[in-house]
Amino acid sequence: MNARILELVAGPLRAMRRATFWWSLGLAALVAGTISVWPAFKGSSGISQAMDQLPSGIVQAFGLQDFGTPAGFLRGNLYDFFVPLLLAAAAVLLVNGQTAGEEAAGRMELYLAQPISRRAVLVGRVIAALIALTVITVVLLLAQLVSDAAFDLRIDTGFVLSTIVLSGLLAALHGSLAVAVAGIRGRQSLVLAIGLGVAFAGLIVSSLFQLSSVLAPWRHLSPWDWAFGGNPLEQTTELWRYAALAVPSVILTGIGVFAVARRDIAGA
Amino acid sequence: MDGAEAVIQIDGLVKHYGKVEAVRGIDLRVARGEVFGFLGPNGSGKSTTIRCLLGLLRPTAGSIGAFGLDSTRDGVALRRRLTYVPGELRLPDRLSGMEFVASIGRLRGGFEPARRDQLAERLRLDLHRHLRDLSSGNRRKVALLLAFLFDAELLVLDEPTNGLDPLMQHEFLGMVREARSAGATVFLSSHSLSEVQRAVDRVAVLRTGKVVAQGTVAELRGRARQRVEVWFEDDPPEAELKALPDMVDPVVDEHRFTATLSGSIQPLLGLLARHLVTSMLVEEPDLEEAFLDLYDGETV
Repeated sequence: MNARILELVAGPLRAMRRATFWWSLGLAALVAGTISVWPAFKGSSGISQAMDQLPSGIVQAFGLQDFGTPAGFLRGNLYDFFVPLLLAAAAVLLVNGQTAGEEAAGRMELYLAQPISRRAVLVGRVIAALIALTVITVVLLLAQLVSDAAFDLRIDTGFVLSTIVLSGLLAALHGSLAVAVAGIRGRQSLVLAIGLGVAFAGLIVSSLFQLSSVLAPWRHLSPWDWAFGGNPLEQTTELWRYAALAVPSVILTGIGVFAVARRDIAGA
Repeated sequence: MDGAEAVIQIDGLVKHYGKVEAVRGIDLRVARGEVFGFLGPNGSGKSTTIRCLLGLLRPTAGSIGAFGLDSTRDGVALRRRLTYVPGELRLPDRLSGMEFVASIGRLRGGFEPARRDQLAERLRLDLHRHLRDLSSGNRRKVALLLAFLFDAELLVLDEPTNGLDPLMQHEFLGMVREARSAGATVFLSSHSLSEVQRAVDRVAVLRTGKVVAQGTVAELRGRARQRVEVWFEDDPPEAELKALPDMVDPVVDEHRFTATLSGSIQPLLGLLARHLVTSMLVEEPDLEEAFLDLYDGETV
């Protein structure tokens, strides 16, 4: 591969290696730590009965149903919102750090003064962020599979794989939203507010709107519903759910890459 | 620069940031092989103009480019032929000098390691240290090393001597002269005139986003005020002296006459020729004084 193209990806990857390591380690520790208590929950009817005392809407909203089953345990503790939210935050922060963050710090200037187009620089950074996110997601998957085996949490590996891939794609969608905002304006506060704000808003729409019969139909607007509305820990995920996350990610990235060449670059 | 080929062409350049008019209509030509001083105080529009030239900013109106290439349309081709030292220098702290130079080298398509080492030695720069551990002067040296490493046809240097000690400033001016001898054009911005007047061929002076003067250093000096001091054998012809044109603050003190000349010295010399003068001192104006004069008046 051309050394110049390689450097456009390798440079940002080097800059993200520490953040990638800590995000991977943190999420792996979260998964392993959570699953380590599974033996105490396994088959416990007491937990399920305790959950039954809660209003059904709350149980549904927070994924607390079937807490004594492997799928219910993982959903309620990790994948209903905790892990996907952390992954989305990682994606937004990594993208921000390599785009608007670098621009605000004035470190983009010497790179953009070289004979490379801004679009190529941004595409290189997006690919690097995607690689970092993939590494974090793969480490998460490995931590999940190893923990499942170590603590005798028996669940279909295919369902676990789908859930984690959907979590990664949901994170990529929010990361690509951050790319779009960074391409259009390049302001850190805006990238973080929109990237993280949309992630939180989507979670609320997906989990809380179902408590109201008026709002319930609108929950389908949330990317969280596209990702997890089909209960991927227990059922085979329809292909459209992957596409619903991947296609907008590509479009949002394209918007950012298009826009970045049409604005001023902030100085130090 | 009559007849010489223009390397940098700026036509009616205007740049606004919202309501702030940073550049208000600049027209400029820089000839191939010259060292051009782009002078002005902070906020006069120097860096904005340079950032437009590099394609980092999009002009509000007018055009700017080099080698016949437009900075907005042909940015990549244009930047292939130039190197740049930013005024506000921010480097990636996590890298060592060596890693950073290598990274920029890969983006530009390679460099000679021997030349890198030679420049590092000349600038007394330890490239093995992390950039975060370097002083502002040494960080500046890293940027200068990059500017002189790639045999560019045009060097765009924005306040390049910021943070350099006088010895290193001297070394830098030597490097500029060598680059010019090798055929490069140097566009050198500064607010410190005493530094650049020894190196530049021509200058343009900016004030609040407009060029208020341009010409050679000698031409600019010719427009500057000069302090004169004359000792007469007898009493000075006070009335005649004070009646001379362009005479500012004339003072007669016994046999001594002092004044500041804001125009030609010829009328004074004509008058002195008719009197017995024992001694005379005319202080040569430096560019700094010429520069300050330009700020007193709107345009020269």
